[in-house]
Amino acid sequence: MGRAQRRGGQRGASWTPHFLHLLFHSHPWDTVIKAAMRKYPNPMNPSVVGVDVLERAVDCRGRLHSLRLLSTEWGLPGLVTTILGTSRTLTYIKERSVVDPLEKKMELCSTNITLRNLVSVNERLVYAPHPEHPEKTVLTQEAVISVEGTGLGRYLESLMASTISSNARKGWAAIEWVIQHSDSTVS
Amino acid sequence: MNSVGEACTDMKREYDQCFNRWFAEKFLKGEGSGDPCTDLFKRYQQCVQKAIKEKEIPIEGLEFMGHGKEKPENSS
Repeated sequence: MGRAQRRGGQRGASWTPHFLHLLFHSHPWDTVIKAAMRKYPNPMNPSVVGVDVLERAVDCRGRLHSLRLLSTEWGLPGLVTTILGTSRTLTYIKERSVVDPLEKKMELCSTNITLRNLVSVNERLVYAPHPEHPEKTVLTQEAVISVEGTGLGRYLESLMASTISSNARKGWAAIEWVIQHSDSTVS
Repeated sequence: MNSVGEACTDMKREYDQCFNRWFAEKFLKGEGSGDPCTDLFKRYQQCVQKAIKEKEIPIEGLEFMGHGKEKPENSS
């Protein structure tokens, strides 16, 4: 399916992946991208409870830009919500994507827009045809976690670190599931 | 899949159906010049923007090509 590595890096303005996953889909790029656009809902990502498109447009080079808002329900432990002082357990993620149908490349960047005073999780996914096997698709998935302060922030970092790797694989499985379950009428 | 605004879910699903069809049958085949979903998108957008304000979701400061800012060239 792929390989993963974790490495440390400087925090700051430069992009330094803390988690890097290389995953492969045994489907052509077009099939994977259609599934990526219809990824939610799926049984592997039950925490995503809402998806909205906020902006969408095609640029002068024919690339499709989208801005989406994902509503996620993590089911944070009661102790965490008590410390956060909120009964709201919904968190929100902002996701930008660009699809280039000529170059056959889809890039997604997402970041949380809530809990940012404690932690930020930035993810970047790039889907491209496998350079040697065009009937396959390569996914490069990078994630950076930046923690502000200590205490609860560190707890959230360790919570997210333990789930980022499994989530990369869940995301891969989600795309595979969407591909298997799509029918001829696109919905 | 639901919308962030409960009242917007039906509009969202209608728009998504239109978009997914256009995306698969036109856009990915290099025929993405038209957009048959504009009206649906407008209605859906109005609903979502209202829901975002009501729920005080911190998505202000949108930097998007539709807001007059040129998107920078992707480095990769």
